[in-house]
Amino acid sequence: MSNEGREVILSIKHVDVTFETGHKKKLVAVKDANFDVYKGETFALVGESGSGKTTLGRAIMRINPCSAGEILFEGKRISGKISREEDRNVVRNIQMIFQDPAASLNERATIDYCVSEGLYNFHLYKDEADRVAKVDKALEDVGLLPEHKSRYPHEFSGGQRQRVGIARAMIMNPKFIVADEPISALDVSIRAQVLNLMNKLKNERDLTYLFIAHDLSVVRFIADRIAVIHHGEIVEIAESETLFEYPIHPYTISLLSTVPMPDPLVEKNRKHIVYDPSKLDQSGEPREMRELRPGHFVHCTSQEFAQYEEKISQMEREQAERES
Amino acid sequence: MMEEKIVNNEKELFGFASFDKYESEHIAAPKYSYWKSVWRTFFRNKFTVAVAILMLVLVLFALIQPSFSGYDPLVAPNVNKEEMRFVKPCAEHIFGTDNVGNEVFDVVWAGAKNSIIISFVCTFINMIIGIAVGAIWGFSKKMDKWMIEVYNVVSNIPFLLLAMILSYVMGAGMGTLIFVMCVTDWIFVAYFIRTQVMIIRDREYNLASKCLGTNTWTMIKNNILPYLISVIMTYAARMIPSLISYEVFLSYMGLGLGVTKASLGRMISIYTSYMNGYPHLFWIPVTVLALLSVSLYIVGQRLADAADPRTHM
Repeated sequence: MSNEGREVILSIKHVDVTFETGHKKKLVAVKDANFDVYKGETFALVGESGSGKTTLGRAIMRINPCSAGEILFEGKRISGKISREEDRNVVRNIQMIFQDPAASLNERATIDYCVSEGLYNFHLYKDEADRVAKVDKALEDVGLLPEHKSRYPHEFSGGQRQRVGIARAMIMNPKFIVADEPISALDVSIRAQVLNLMNKLKNERDLTYLFIAHDLSVVRFIADRIAVIHHGEIVEIAESETLFEYPIHPYTISLLSTVPMPDPLVEKNRKHIVYDPSKLDQSGEPREMRELRPGHFVHCTSQEFAQYEEKISQMEREQAERES
Repeated sequence: MMEEKIVNNEKELFGFASFDKYESEHIAAPKYSYWKSVWRTFFRNKFTVAVAILMLVLVLFALIQPSFSGYDPLVAPNVNKEEMRFVKPCAEHIFGTDNVGNEVFDVVWAGAKNSIIISFVCTFINMIIGIAVGAIWGFSKKMDKWMIEVYNVVSNIPFLLLAMILSYVMGAGMGTLIFVMCVTDWIFVAYFIRTQVMIIRDREYNLASKCLGTNTWTMIKNNILPYLISVIMTYAARMIPSLISYEVFLSYMGLGLGVTKASLGRMISIYTSYMNGYPHLFWIPVTVLALLSVSLYIVGQRLADAADPRTHM
């Protein structure tokens, strides 16, 4: 699928996020992130713990400021200082689903307040009856009951709490949702329930997701395109099937070699590939994102690019032989 | 024959259940109400209830009795009656009489009334200013930079020196005393609240509120203060009895209420000189003061414990 002519909803342009970790010491959490998210797709950001994926998600939510570069939403800059109206517009259109449903709900507020918090802030209701109707509808959409409104978050199960979190984001009618590992804190038995709910809502409301995850099997299920991030640098971006079939960057290959398969034979013969950055091109040439195939970007030097080109051609040939 | 019966039984006993996808969503537990749980936890302990009753009796007695006795420290009708002075406690004079022939019973409650009023008013003022300033202080990093300097300066002013200067400048009296006890004390409350706010300011549910566009005031009101009810109560429970002691201390030093107002502190300071001959004059006001402070402290602490939702299970 070509990305030409698709509408870009969110554009991340050479974004750096740094934290000061003491006097004159800096930690660069995200380095030169550069990608577009198209309207209506699910874009996944995968990486190991501490790779900067959550930081990037929070930079989009403007919780963490960008130290360089800019973030555009529907063509308008949303990073740095923006006017009050634009700020309100961005809050309404970009919402977040948090990782830990236990920590992200106010324990001293009822579900009614938790879900209608956004409505109160922007006065998105005509009168009290309208607000109640909207909250009831939002709860119904995520499979909860109106009788839950007077309850407190600690009375709910993890899956129910996460659905409250989703209802709270959806009631704002956002266009773009940053889902920060929305299922990693949940029990395996209810992960599918929440993922299916997210997919259902996406189809109903024409949403765009930025899905942050470390679980590759989940990402393969939900994402259209995947960006692999390592130590704050995005190393590879591709359509999700392409990435799983033709992984090119050594880190992606290493990451994919760890995905568990429900097949004892495969698991028995599994070879874990360890990523060794010292085997990369050490010539000192700065790396940049280069397009290997349409829509398939790799972070590399020109010498590595030639290697990858050769390798992917060989993989394609093998694939063609297997098919014929 | 037998098998048929079993099959029949099975049909009678079992039927197909219909599937209701909302069935699993019901919460069977009874509804939780925060304040109801607080009171339930508080009244569960018999000792707490006993101390609370003692506290209520003391406070009500101190607030009501003086208006019946009409005690005035400037009036001493029995001063010239030798037989009315230094009477030991008996059926007619419950707490005995003092050096000018006044009923100690009346003197004690009139003094306790002023102490209680001053400590409650000061606690209220300190808490209101302290919480309001502390909440913004904890939230704003810009304000923190200069507020911490203000705190360093104000908290290092010697309290007794300030109290002396202010009472000489403004003259002794209820208003001066309240002003003295509030003018610097609120900053300690504010500093305490600032630290508490900083602890919970960056929790994930506050980030979530921020992402929903909630402004700082609403966040303080709905996300921060409800979490601090318990620690604020603990602080107030310590503050009320300590301010009663402060009032007594300042009056004892001659810096508190003027001679026109009844005061436990000044009474104790006068009665101390008769301690050897008439010990009841010293011990009765001190005991009342101790009972009042301790019962207020215990009730406050127990209420603070009950306000912590972790004790509601």
